[in-house]
Amino acid sequence: MTIGKIESEGSAVTSTLPVVEIRSLVKSFSGRTVLDNVDFTVKPGNIVSIIGRSGGGKTTLMRCINLLEKPDSGFITLQGEPVFSGDKTVCKDLAKLRQRVGMVFQRFYLFPHLTAVENVMLAQMKGLKIPEKKALETALELLAEVGLTHRALAFPEQMSGGEQQRVAIARALALGPSLLLFDEPTSALDPESTRDVLAVMRRLARSGMTMVIVTHEVPFAREISDKIVFIDGGHIIEQGHPSEVIDNPREDRTKAFLRSYKTDG
Amino acid sequence: MNPAPGLFQVPWQDYLPALVDGLLKSLGYTAAGFVGAAAVGLAVALLRISSRRLLRIPAAIYTELFKNVPLLAIIFITYFGLASVGLRLDAFQAGTLSLVIFYGAYLSEIFRAALLGVHAGQQEAGQALGLGPVVTFTGIIFPQALRLALPGTGTMLVDLLKSTSLLVVISAAELMSQAQLIASETFRALEVYVVISAIYFVVCYPLSQLVLRLERRVQAGAPLSLRRYRRLAHARALLAAAETKPYSEVKP
Ligand SMILES: Nc1ncnc2c1ncn2[C@@H]1O[C@H](COP(=O)(O)OP(=O)(O)O)[C@@H](O)[C@H]1O
Ligand SMILES: [Mg+2]
Repeated sequence: MTIGKIESEGSAVTSTLPVVEIRSLVKSFSGRTVLDNVDFTVKPGNIVSIIGRSGGGKTTLMRCINLLEKPDSGFITLQGEPVFSGDKTVCKDLAKLRQRVGMVFQRFYLFPHLTAVENVMLAQMKGLKIPEKKALETALELLAEVGLTHRALAFPEQMSGGEQQRVAIARALALGPSLLLFDEPTSALDPESTRDVLAVMRRLARSGMTMVIVTHEVPFAREISDKIVFIDGGHIIEQGHPSEVIDNPREDRTKAFLRSYKTDG
Repeated sequence: MNPAPGLFQVPWQDYLPALVDGLLKSLGYTAAGFVGAAAVGLAVALLRISSRRLLRIPAAIYTELFKNVPLLAIIFITYFGLASVGLRLDAFQAGTLSLVIFYGAYLSEIFRAALLGVHAGQQEAGQALGLGPVVTFTGIIFPQALRLALPGTGTMLVDLLKSTSLLVVISAAELMSQAQLIASETFRALEVYVVISAIYFVVCYPLSQLVLRLERRVQAGAPLSLRRYRRLAHARALLAAAETKPYSEVKP
């Protein structure tokens, strides 16, 4: 199995419905609004990168997509299926929904008591009830895809950050998701590991996988994204093609953010 | 003065059956007490990390109460105390119950700390993979908590074994009760209790070492179940086969 094959097995590309459609999303934590009336759409096969300074609400927006975070109000539709409407979750089966939405965390969150290959097998077996033999084969194929066959039997603590993150990507891919969410996947990594992880993400993008990426790697986002979303203070300040938002930003806050980026390094 | 025969004058040969019987009873109390205490400890720990106050508070009261009362008092209450209000337990029932109640309180503390020690991101990763709360607990949280709880739990197991000696006060027929009988028959308190202490040591020390070894193995990620052992063996076999493939494909 290849990354490309996984994607074609999913339904993302064949359908023309948006993979994610969010309207009027509001989310607050103990009275403080951190997402204020946000609209956000991801089309099939698109790569959408969310950029913005820390505390802007990027992670919260992403966690609302798979309902790890329950919004206060708004509408969330995944592949045409309403999952949140008004002020309540309307998705009957949250587990099924999350199987279709893979998530990769900044700090990997691999299961430390299991080897790499078992990490990739667990949800296949316990969630999708895939027989062990098949789950193992899929896991080994995916580890090969991310270049980690030789680490299949290693435990997370024996692996570098970059290796862990690539296992985490394989783990998310194992359920054959229609959408992958990345929350600052390289922020905890050294430059070399970052390069390896970005290479895997690049290949996923080329294979047609639909992806939402929160990242501080502006050049990378510019290179692979179909759309850039700049969030600040819980608002989407500006969104559009990288050639607009990154190369020719219209809003002052976007300009300021991108400028601070360049001076940072 | 003849020091050599003076050292061991108790006819240990004659008491051997009684000692073996006593030791087996001590181990029986240990096994029953530990299994019960682990079950109670886990249940109480889960209640204590619950988000509902109604569940949390009684569990906390249980832990604090029995952690701060002597085991000996609990033994007296379950054996003599309950009997006086009509609930007559035999020595084994009262002894085991006391151990379960007392060590359940301690184990609940250890298990609670272990469950809280598992990073919140683990739960999140399970959720994000579409796993339900039960699978997330049994497949992700519990195995990690077990690793964290093992050292403290092992210490408690050995401590429990030694504490079965307190059951001498209800003549539970375990090792210390046998010792008391022998001492009263032979008037050789020093010799008897030194020998009995040696027996406790000979049992407890290897047990501690065993627990320590188990701890290291689990820490190193070794499989504890046959199913996982087979799974890893299968993975290893597939990886080895993949490695040799290019050569075998060359053959006619
Ligand atoms: N679980 C939470 N409880 C309270 N406040 C939170 C929680 N998660 C995030 N926040 C707050 O919400 C705001 C947005 O956070 P986040 O979405 O993590 O921003 P970003 O990912 O852009 O850095 C921040 O001010 C943060 O402190
Ligand atoms: Mg964030």
